[in-house]
Order: sequence, then structure tokens, then C-alpha cells
Amino acid sequence: MNRTKDTARFARIADKVRANEALDADDGLFLYTYPDLLAVGALANERREALHGDKTFFNVNFHINPTNVCVADCKFCSFARLEPDAPAAYTMSIDEVKQKLLDRMDQPVTEIHIVNGLHHHLPLDYYKDCLRELKALRPDIHLKAYTAVEIHYFAEKYGMSYTQVLSELKEAGLDSMPGGGAEIFAERARRKLCRGKADADEWLAVHRAAHELGIRTNCTMLYGTVETLEERIDHMLRLRDLQAETGGFQTFIPLAFHADNNSLQKLPPPTGVDNLRTYAVSRLMLHNIAHIKAYWIMIGIKTAQISLSFGVDDLDGTVQEEKIYHMAGAETPQALSRVDLVRLIREAGRVAVERDTLYNERWTDDGEALDGIRIDASLPYSTQGQGVRLNVL
Amino acid sequence: MTTETTPSQPSPTTLRVQAVSFLNARPLIHTLLDPKHAPRHADGTPMFEVVEALPSRCADALAAGECDLALVPVGAYADHPEWEVVPGVGIGCRGAVDTVVVCSRWPIEEVERVYLDGASRSSILLLKVLLHEAGLSPELVPVDHGVGEGLVADASTDGSGPKVAALIIGDAAFGVAGRFEHVWDLGTKWFERTGLPMVFAFWAARPGVLTPAHVTALQKARDRSLGKYAEAIAKHYRDELLASGEPGAAQALSEQAYATYLRKTIRYGLETQQREGLVEYLDRAREAELIDIPGLHPEDPVHIHFAGEAAPEVLVAARRRRSSRSPLDVDAILARAAAGERIDLAEGIYLYENAELMALGEAADQRRAQLHPEPIVTYIIDRNVNYTNYCVTRCKFCNFYVPPTDKQGRGYVLSKEQLAKKFRETEALGGIQILLQGGLNPELGLDYYEDLFRWTKQNFTLKLHALSPTEIIHIAQIEELSVEEVLRRLQAAGMDSLPGGGAEILDDEIRARISPFKNSTAEWLEVMRAAHGLGMRSSATMVFGFQETAEHILMHLERLRSLQDETGGFTAFITWPFQADGTRLKLRDDTSAFRYLRVQAVARLYLDNIDNIQVSWPTLGPEIGEIALRFGANDFGSVMIEENVVSTAGAHFMMTAKEIESHIRLAGFEPQRRTMQYGRVEAS
Ligand code: SF4
Ligand code: SF4
Repeated sequence: MNRTKDTARFARIADKVRANEALDADDGLFLYTYPDLLAVGALANERREALHGDKTFFNVNFHINPTNVCVADCKFCSFARLEPDAPAAYTMSIDEVKQKLLDRMDQPVTEIHIVNGLHHHLPLDYYKDCLRELKALRPDIHLKAYTAVEIHYFAEKYGMSYTQVLSELKEAGLDSMPGGGAEIFAERARRKLCRGKADADEWLAVHRAAHELGIRTNCTMLYGTVETLEERIDHMLRLRDLQAETGGFQTFIPLAFHADNNSLQKLPPPTGVDNLRTYAVSRLMLHNIAHIKAYWIMIGIKTAQISLSFGVDDLDGTVQEEKIYHMAGAETPQALSRVDLVRLIREAGRVAVERDTLYNERWTDDGEALDGIRIDASLPYSTQGQGVRLNVL
Repeated sequence: MTTETTPSQPSPTTLRVQAVSFLNARPLIHTLLDPKHAPRHADGTPMFEVVEALPSRCADALAAGECDLALVPVGAYADHPEWEVVPGVGIGCRGAVDTVVVCSRWPIEEVERVYLDGASRSSILLLKVLLHEAGLSPELVPVDHGVGEGLVADASTDGSGPKVAALIIGDAAFGVAGRFEHVWDLGTKWFERTGLPMVFAFWAARPGVLTPAHVTALQKARDRSLGKYAEAIAKHYRDELLASGEPGAAQALSEQAYATYLRKTIRYGLETQQREGLVEYLDRAREAELIDIPGLHPEDPVHIHFAGEAAPEVLVAARRRRSSRSPLDVDAILARAAAGERIDLAEGIYLYENAELMALGEAADQRRAQLHPEPIVTYIIDRNVNYTNYCVTRCKFCNFYVPPTDKQGRGYVLSKEQLAKKFRETEALGGIQILLQGGLNPELGLDYYEDLFRWTKQNFTLKLHALSPTEIIHIAQIEELSVEEVLRRLQAAGMDSLPGGGAEILDDEIRARISPFKNSTAEWLEVMRAAHGLGMRSSATMVFGFQETAEHILMHLERLRSLQDETGGFTAFITWPFQADGTRLKLRDDTSAFRYLRVQAVARLYLDNIDNIQVSWPTLGPEIGEIALRFGANDFGSVMIEENVVSTAGAHFMMTAKEIESHIRLAGFEPQRRTMQYGRVEAS
């Protein structure tokens, strides 16, 4: 590569970004391969700060997966069971679903995230009842439910249009939709990964229908499997085009593939630099999608913290009120306490904001002492932690 | 206690001081009493006004607020852990002290009663500790000062009365040893049991009254008196004694004997090893339930608050620069540093406090590319072998050590068979070096290491990257040899290079809080200087997360950089955040990956004369290791075949050479195996 030429090209891309112009596929690929990772990161950070300043969002939700029985057999999936009677296969009764919420009635949860496998013979009413009963218990709680893959499956199975399915679910209490099931759109990769589930056009059509009904959605990309960099960029561009049409996406969530317990175990997982690069490129390519979210459970809290300087403005993962984890631990915990999450955001020089599903701000970190500890990002480093010197030694 | 050392305003007040008049205290107060040379503030006010008193009186006066500073027996500290102690100055011994002795006409083991001859609290406590540990429990009977010796001398030996002894201290004890068949010199006894020096008294002050200027003045007063006036003090003491007509006068020793006592027997320092002995003493007293220190966790060693010393000149200059008018400019400093120009301390601090992480990273990455133009990242295959986990130092941040007194069988010293197995495995895995480190085990002397190194060199092809400065200092202290001599002999036995461990934060105030008995900053640097002088290379480390400030971090780097200017002996620098899990140090500080990248990037820019920066993946994980290669590092460290000190505190990353290579590639570099000296090695 010619260094001077590259630098000039990077500068042209930076100009486009600053003018909020759409980048093209070549720009995206160039950013993915430009040797100066931090320059790409800094540009994404500039964009992130222009959109959100130092705000770093999180929300407090919990997940319900009413069934893990699924007719599809996606290669990367360690959740689904093919048959209802397979070992470890389960399907909850509506009462069991309700119990999940009843167990948490006193917790300040603002959202329930519900996704399922594609069950062989559950009726649509089952899915509607789930929503209705949960709403009845806590009308204030936001129901973010069912991926486009499920909606597509329902539509085919019950002979309905996407709009019909979605309207009925909305009527039953559906507030918004998660972004799952997008995986990677490119046909070649998709065939290898998840033959038989909603294809790219179908996935996008479901979201289009949802947006038209006023249902906001998220979108995802699974990376680090068999796809090429071109295919990642292509994925982003297809999302961007739909967004230009409808404006209904809130957040893009790149999902690093993890070879836990599935048939792709031999692939090396995407690692630090690839993860950061993907966040940064997403932030730059998806100029019309407001938020970029990182799942710290997948990439580890350390990389997640660094990602806040590479375009990410939203952190996701289980947040608990009580203290369960010490920052110095090496392994990624299953959940973070609110205090630890806010602290890690502060340490990165950002301001934590608790949001609801639609990004209404519920609480903003005012720098008050957490757990007796004050880490104030606006102060120079030399004064950090001084408030606690006396009582710890 | 705060670590922010504000430039000291010389206080014009005079500290009220009480001190003992014993001969051994005179070198500390001689200069303070000298009308011409007594230290003064800038405006001419005397810094100290000294009154002489008995040891126990001094402590009471300090406790009652009748004085601000006193020369107190260390035993009194147990009741007043709030006192601030003057660093570097004390009255102690290493082995025989001559003036704290138990004398008897019977073997001490048989004695039924010990007269305590007006003794100080410290010496009584020391006697009790030693009796307790020897399983003895004679009756202890206080008597007036001066009568103890007579009571023992006159006791009947026909079996009609009890077998008696007397504890005699201070000037009255001179010569006693020669007049009785059975004598315990408590200094000797203590040394035999612990291998440590004993400290009997130190300067303690009410909290908050000492300024760095006072500390320096007291240290200098000691140096001056001892350097020039030991003989004069000895003569003066003898003349006084003879003129006094006291009973002891008849037994006065020669001037020369007193001078030798001052110069050789008594040790007037309060450095790392003395501190260790001091705390060991208080700890054993605590263990024997002879004292109780309020508010101290039973497992924690006694903590002694030392007063702060004066800031180094370079830091004072940097502070001046930072408060001066001409503002510093982050972009300009970054541009200069990225181009390899030297930035000064004020600029380094400014960068650390103000530069954006990404901007720092880019500058560090540029500087890395300038130093290492080929897109290559190196790593080494070596094995970390911790030959022993016994350690007397008890650093609060360490979860690896086992105290030598441990009775649960948790301690070990690896046998030659165990070592041979590890070494053979290392060779089989393509390893070329052993990183040999361990605790400070008082049982292992220089010959142990010499033998171990020779044996290694005879039987294996491995390089020995062995013994951090902390261990070298420990060996020098137990052998009473100079650091240089120890290094020379170890080098001759086969040592190739030194790891840079034990540096933590090179700042004595922080060190006093987290590892009070570990080597001081100056001692650490001195070992490195000596090792480099002998042609051995070493690495350098820094561990952050001990609530240090930007100044502390940059001063650490500054100390490394200026030593490197002098010797050029550092091959690489490695930094990582403190891993608190399972240690006794309950600190809250920022130990995040974010801060790690920031610290490393600043280090790459500041250490313009150290070639290599190594990532610390064992503490941060391979992913951050990979990212750190874009924040100034050019080396992926080692395929850690084992890493006990970190892994007991919570980090558990293990990687093979293949995985390391894969991470290096993912960061956009070509992997290359290397030696400790950063020479390249072809992978077989
Ligand atoms: S459709 Fe969803 S649940 Fe079913 S196998 Fe694929 S990823 Fe798993
Ligand atoms: S860090 Fe080293 S010197 Fe300190 S206690 Fe642990 S082994 Fe001993």
C-alpha cells in the first residue's frame, strides 16, 4: 500500500464523515483494512461524541426465552433444541412465563426481552398470551419481543402477512422488537450458517413492516464466522438503506461470534482488535442509525470499556442492583452491579445514563460517590480517589 | 495521610523535642544541641528545642502533648499508632547491642526471677518476647535503676534463694557482660531468632507537625554527628562519667570502646530491613499477647506511619513549570513525543492528565513504529519458576507468600528434582530462559543461589533471568555484603539478567503503605545501576492502582529514564494494573483496561531511551494485549508456562506460542520469537 495515498484517502473519508455524508462500500473496506486502527477509532469516536457527547447508555432489563425448541438448525446456535422432547428442550407454560416476572416485581426493571426458538406447533395465541399476561402484571414495563425470524416463521406457519402478525402482537402488548436473527445477510455466508431461516430480504421486510406500524426495532450483525469483510460491509449497507427509508432502527449491535457449544467450534473467535475495528467501522458506515451497542458479556468488560472510545455509546449485559463482582477479576462475569457498570463508564471518562427502551433518559450519573468511592472523570487523574485515601489505609 | 505532597511552607514554629541522654542517643541530638549548627528555618527560627529525659518519660510527654517530637522506645508505638515516625533514623543493632543484657550467675534457662533494672518498655517487651518464644516464664520484678546488677551479684548460690538474673540497659550495662558467667545480649538473641536487626528507639511526632524539612534536618543532624563527632561524643561521655563520681565511673571503658560502640554496634538507620525487624518485633509481641494495637486486623502486620520526605528536585521543578504562566499544549507535546523528542516531567504529567486516550495511543503507536519500523512483534518462550514462596516481607498486595513462621505447611522451597523437571519441560517446549523469582526466604543464603545457578548452567542450556532487585537486596542484607558483590558472585555463578520486579510504584510514600518492608526506591534503582554496571541487562516494571497520582506515575518513569541515560541497561518496560483479588490490600483505585492503555501509551512516549514496551496479557487478557500493541507496545511478553504471583491474585490466562502468534497477527503484526536481549530466535 502506498502510505501517502492512503493517508489522503483517509482524510477524504474523514471529511465525508464530518459532513455526515454516507460512506460507500469501498470506504468501508478501506476503513476495515487501514493500518492505523486508532485513526479509524478516533474518527468513530468523533462521530460518537458529535451524536451523544460523553453519554453512555445502559438499561435494566431481563430476558425470558419461553421455549428453546426450534425447527431451524443454525450452526452458531447453542441455545436451540431441535425437537420438543430432546434432552434439555423446554417450553414454558404461560404461568411459568408470568412467574419469571413475578420473581422480579420489586426490581427496577424497565424492559423484558423475549425471544424463542421456532417451535413446531405452538399457536400464535401462545405468543400473544405471553405478552398480554406480562403487560397485565406490569403495564409500565416495555416488551421488546420476537425477532424478525420468528415473525417470518409465524407469518408462514399461520398463513398471515407480516403486518397482520405484527398488528396482532402489537395489540397484545408488543412495544418494540429486538434485532436478532439478522446474522449476516450475504447469501453465500447465510447458506452456510443458517440455511432455512428467514433470508435477508425477508428479515428486512419484517422490520420494514414493523417500522410502518410504528414499532421501533434494533438490528444486529453476527461476525467472526465464515463471512468476508466485504460481506460485513454489505450487511451494514443493507441496514442503512432500510433505515433511510423508514428511520425505524434505534440501535445497531455487532455480535462477535463465540464458539461455545455449537458446530463452529473450530473457528478462532473475533478478538480485541477485530472487535474494536468492527465497532468503529459500524459507527462510521451507519451514519443514520443513532446508537451502537456493545455486549460486554461477549467481548469482555475490558474490551467493552475500550469500545466506548471506538464509537460505542451503549453497553448491554445483565445489570444487577447488588454487588456481585470486583473490577479486578479477570474473567467476564455473567452480570455487573450497577455500581461497577457506572464505575467502568466513569473510568473511561464517560457519563453513564440509564435509559428506557426508547432512549428516554431515566437517570444520569452526577458523579456522586458510588459505594463510597468517587471517580470523577472531569477531574485530572492526579486527584482521583483522593476522597477515599483516608478510610482505606 | 495524603499522598499529595504540597510544597512545604517552612513553618517558623519551633518543635518542642524530648530526647534521651543515653550515650547511644547522643549522635541523634548532638547537632540539634549545637548552638552554631542546630537546624534553623529560612528565617532563622530554630527548628527544634531539645529537652533531655528518660526514655519512658519521652513517650509520656509526647502522648500528653507536652512535646511535638520525641525519641521514643519503639514499644510505646503500640499505644500510639497515630504517631508519625521519621524515616531513615533510628537506634538499633544487628546482633549484639552490649547495652541491653540479661546477666546471671545461672544459665538463663534456669533462672526463676529476673529483676528489671529501671528498664525501658521496649527492652522489657523484647525480653518477654524472647522468654515467651523460649518457653520460659520466670518471675519479673521491677527494681530501681542501678541496683539490678548488685542484686544478682550478691545472690546466694547455695540453693537457699531463687536463681536470679537482671535485665540491665543503657549505660549501666556497659561491661556487665564481662562480669557474669551467663549473659543474654538481647540484640544477639533477637538476631539469632529472626535474622533481623532490632530497633530500640526512633523519632516519633504528633501527627501533622513534621514537614519534609524537619525530616531532612533530623537525617542530616544524624549524619553530621556520626560522621565527624563520634569520637568527641565518646570522649565527652567518658569525661562526664568520671567527673560524676557515680558508682559506674570506676568501671568506665576506654574512649575507643565507646566510639566503637557508636560507630559499629549501634545502627542509626531505619531502612527497609530495620523496618522489617521493627515490625517483626511488634508483631511477635502482639502474637504473644503482650501488646494490643487497637484497630489493626489480626493478619495485617503492624503499620508504621512514616513522615513524608522532601520531593525530589526534578519534581519541584516540574511543579514550578506547571504553575508558571506559559500554558502547555497537548497536541504540541504529543507531536514532539511521537517524533521521538524528549518531553520533560511537567509535560509528561500534563499529558497523562489531559490527553485523550486515542490521541495518546496514536502518538505512542507512531513512536513505536519509528523505533521498530518493521511490522514485527516479538515474544519469548520462557518459564516463570518461583523457587520458594517463603517470604518475610509480607507486602500487603501479595497473595503469594507464606511467612517463614507458617505452621500449616503451605510453604515450599523447590528441590533440585522439582526444578530439573520444570527446566526439562521448558526446554522441551522450546523455552530458552527461566524467569526465576521467589519470596525473601531467610534460610537461603548466597551459596544456595550460587550453587543453584552453577547447577543450572551445568545441566541445561537455559538462560537465567533471575532474582529481582528485592531478592538481591535481601541476599546482600543477610550476608552483610554489598549489592555489587552479591551481583558479581551471582553473575559468576551463571546469572544472565534481572527481571524488573519489585518496583511497583517507585515512591517511598506509596511503598510505605503497601509494602513497608520491601526495598526503597533508591535501593531498587541502586541494584539496577550495579547490575547494569556489571554488564547485566534487566527489564523495568511498574504496577499501578495503589492510589498513586499522575506525579507518582511520571516520577517512576522519570527515575527509570534517568537511570537508563546513565547505564542503558534496561531492555524493556512492562506495566500492569494491580490485581487485588485475594490480597489483603483493600484499595479502591482505577485498575481498568482503559487506564492501562493510557499508562502504557504515556510510558512509550516518556521512556524515549528504552527500546521495548511489553504488553501484560497475563493480567489483562490476550484481547487487551492485542489492543495494547496499538498503544505503543512492540512485544507480547512470554508464553508464561507458569506465573504464580499474579495467578494467585486472580488472573488466569494461559496461552501457547500458537495463540500468541495468532493474537499478534490479528493486531496486524508478524510474530517473531526473541531472547531476553531482544535478539531474534528462529522458531523450530
Ligand atoms: S432460528 Fe434462532 S433459535 Fe433457532 S436455531 Fe437459529 S438461532 Fe437458534
Ligand atoms: S511481593 Fe515479593 S517481597 Fe512482597 S511479600 Fe510477595 S513475595 Fe515477598
